[in-house]
Formats: sequence, C-alpha cells, structure tokens
Amino acid sequence: MGNKPKIICVTGGKGGTGKTFVAVNLATMFKNEGYKPLLIDGDSENPNSYLLLGGKLGKREEVLFFKPSINEDNCTKCGICAQNCVPHALLHVNNSIPIPILAVCSGCKLCYKICPTNAIEASYKTVGWIYELNERGIDLLVGELKPGEARSASVIDSLLERLDTRINGTMSNYDVVIIDTAPGAHCDVEELINKADYVIPVTEPTKFGLTDLIRINELITLLHKQFKVIINRSNLLGYKNQFFNELDAIHVDIIGKIPLHDEVVTSYCAGVPLMEDRKDGEVIGPAYEAFQQIYEEVKKWINIKNTN
Amino acid sequence: MVVIAVPSNGNGGLKELMNSRFGRCPSFTFVHVEDKKITEVKALSNSAVGQMGGAGIQAAQLVGNNGAEIVIVGFLGPNAAQSLNALKIPIYQAPNKEITVREVIDLYINDKLSLISNANVAAHQGLGRGQGMGPG
Repeated sequence: MGNKPKIICVTGGKGGTGKTFVAVNLATMFKNEGYKPLLIDGDSENPNSYLLLGGKLGKREEVLFFKPSINEDNCTKCGICAQNCVPHALLHVNNSIPIPILAVCSGCKLCYKICPTNAIEASYKTVGWIYELNERGIDLLVGELKPGEARSASVIDSLLERLDTRINGTMSNYDVVIIDTAPGAHCDVEELINKADYVIPVTEPTKFGLTDLIRINELITLLHKQFKVIINRSNLLGYKNQFFNELDAIHVDIIGKIPLHDEVVTSYCAGVPLMEDRKDGEVIGPAYEAFQQIYEEVKKWINIKNTN
Repeated sequence: MVVIAVPSNGNGGLKELMNSRFGRCPSFTFVHVEDKKITEVKALSNSAVGQMGGAGIQAAQLVGNNGAEIVIVGFLGPNAAQSLNALKIPIYQAPNKEITVREVIDLYINDKLSLISNANVAAHQGLGRGQGMGPG
C-alpha cells in the first residue's frame, strides 16, 4: 500500500505569469532527485504543459455529459420532468411531448430518474477529453475542454476522478502530485485548489500581477489552504518597488523569486524544462539557481521524506 | 381567429405599455383578433419574472399553455427564441419605442410588423433594467 502523496497546486490569478513553467519545472526537479511526481494539467482551455515537456498529445478518452433524449412512444406527456427540472431545461406545454433545451441543462439526470414511464433516455455528448501520458519520465494527466463547450467543470471532475484512482490504488507509488490550474479565481480553479495540501500562486511584479494575486489569495484563504507565493520575472522594472512594498503591507509569504533570463526563454522555445538534468560543465544561470532554491524551500515546506 | 401574446407592464391589458423583455416581463396580455378586429383580451401575470434562470423557457411555456399562436416581442433571448421555435409559435418584432399593447396589435393587424426567428439579445439581458424597446 503506497503512501498518500503530497499535493501541491500551482495557480495564480493572472494569465501568462508562469504557472505552467513552475509546475513543469517543479515536477522535473522532483523527478531528477528520484521522487515519483504526477503532473496534472487542469487548464482545460489551454492545456499545454506537455509542450513545455517537449511532448505530444496522443490517445485520448472522451469526457461525456448527460443529455435527456425523449422516447416519444413511452411519453405520457404528464410534464413531471419539466415541473421538477431546476434550470427549466425541459419545455412542456399541455398535452405535448417535452422539449429539451440543452443550453441550460445541468446534466443532473433528475428527469431521467423520475420519469414514471421511463420515457427519458440517457444520451451523452462529448464536452472534452482526458489524455494520460508520460513525458521525460513524468506521468502527466491532461484535461482539454472541447472548443465551444461551456462545461469545463466536468473535464475537471473527470481529471480529479482519475487522480483519485491513481493515488488511492494499492499500486500507487507517487510521492508528490503537482496540479497546474487555469488563470482566474473561478470554480475550476477553486476545485483544483481544494484538492491540494499546499498552494503556490505565481505572479509577476506588475499592477495586473498584484491585483490578480490579491484575488487568488482571497480564494485560497476562503478554502483554508496554506500558500506561499512565487514572483516570476522578479527583475521586471517599472512597478517593482511599489509591488514589493504592497506585498509587505499585506504580509504575503514569498517562497522565492525567479528573474527573467535568456535561459528561461530558451528552455521555453526548445520545449526542454529549464530544470532538466544538466550535463557537467553546462553554464548555470540565475533563473536556474533561483529555481533550485525554491525547490529546496518547497521540499522543506511540504516536509517530504528524502529519497533513499 | 388568432391569439397573440404580448409582454406587458403592470397587470397587462390593451392600454398598458408593452414590456421590452420577454422572459421577465411583469405580465402577458393575450389578444384575440378576428377579421382584423380585437374580439377578446385577457391578461396573466408572468410567473417566470423572478426565476434565477430559464425565465425565457418558462415564459414560452406560459404563453404556449394559454393558447398563444403568435407572440410580439421587444428583446428576445436565445433560450426564449429556441423555445418559441420549438413550440412553432411565430415571433413578430415590435418597433423600438414606447408603445401600448393596443398600438402594437394595430401594427400587427395592418401588417406593419416583421417576422423574426432568432434571438436579438444575449442570454440574461432581461435581468438588468431594460432601456426602451428592442431593435426596430
């Protein structure tokens, strides 16, 4: 029976601050040291952590969403389904067969369960896909929302079900799970943060970065989770001093700062994680050093056992 | 004879102003028209007005259950449009101005209104305070 892994959620209110960069590189460092990490990409509208690992999305499984379909032969036109449908997704007028209005259907299946004559049949539509892959020795679960679909929560639910299967099984041997979220402070992000033991918001020293960090911190606090912040592109000029003063004033716990440096951009473009094992004699830059420090701090914080 | 449903203010009736919202209008006035003359008028309060969501669908259900064969609208959301289309109730567009129920029925009788089949506003527009009437 495996131990329960530590679950870290990498998030941050603002888009493009480096959430995926941090998540992928943390996973890489754990792997380098002999731990077994599981990386979860929960940014279902832009799932691209696999790109930073230089991988490709392959085989996928569909995420299905219930929709009612009416068997007209069995329907007695009683209207019980429509009267009880909370979002009013069944249109029923006297003596006629109910008409599903799928745009407002929440997929709860109540109509399917309560129809006295079993005239409502379950059919399903695809709202997204789950990919399970292994890149550079890191197991990766990716959730992707089908473009144009609104039900991203079902993609996240499906991701979390698979996470549970992986970490609760008797064969489970993960040491650490790293969850990468979408930007924002909406319900998908909330659900993923809720799953974690430790939360790392990633931000940058800009006005946008500050405002959105305050929003995500509010959400994390509401969920009673402990968090420490990473400041990415920490050497950006212009708003930097004011930014750090503001963070001081609200007592934000900073776990580390990563300066923007050519090596980060190069790793991004090449699809090789910055923290991938280096050959002896390779030049180590300030971003690499900063990340190494952050990694050590994270290990202390989550109190992970040493490998062998 | 044809039964026309018009979203209306207050308790409805011919003298009342038409309401620009469909799902969340306070009342519906049902007007019977035969040989270009109004033969009967009845009004019903709209039970969907305070719904959290799905007001357009419920309002369509209400007009359908009360025998409406035609509706005249100002603003119309996508769920209401889909519902009315599913019930095969033709939708006519009212002009973009303050107008009483009687005036808009007169426009219909004189063939001054045009048929529409799609929504003319996004979902949940009726939740705010509508300004004036729908597009002419």
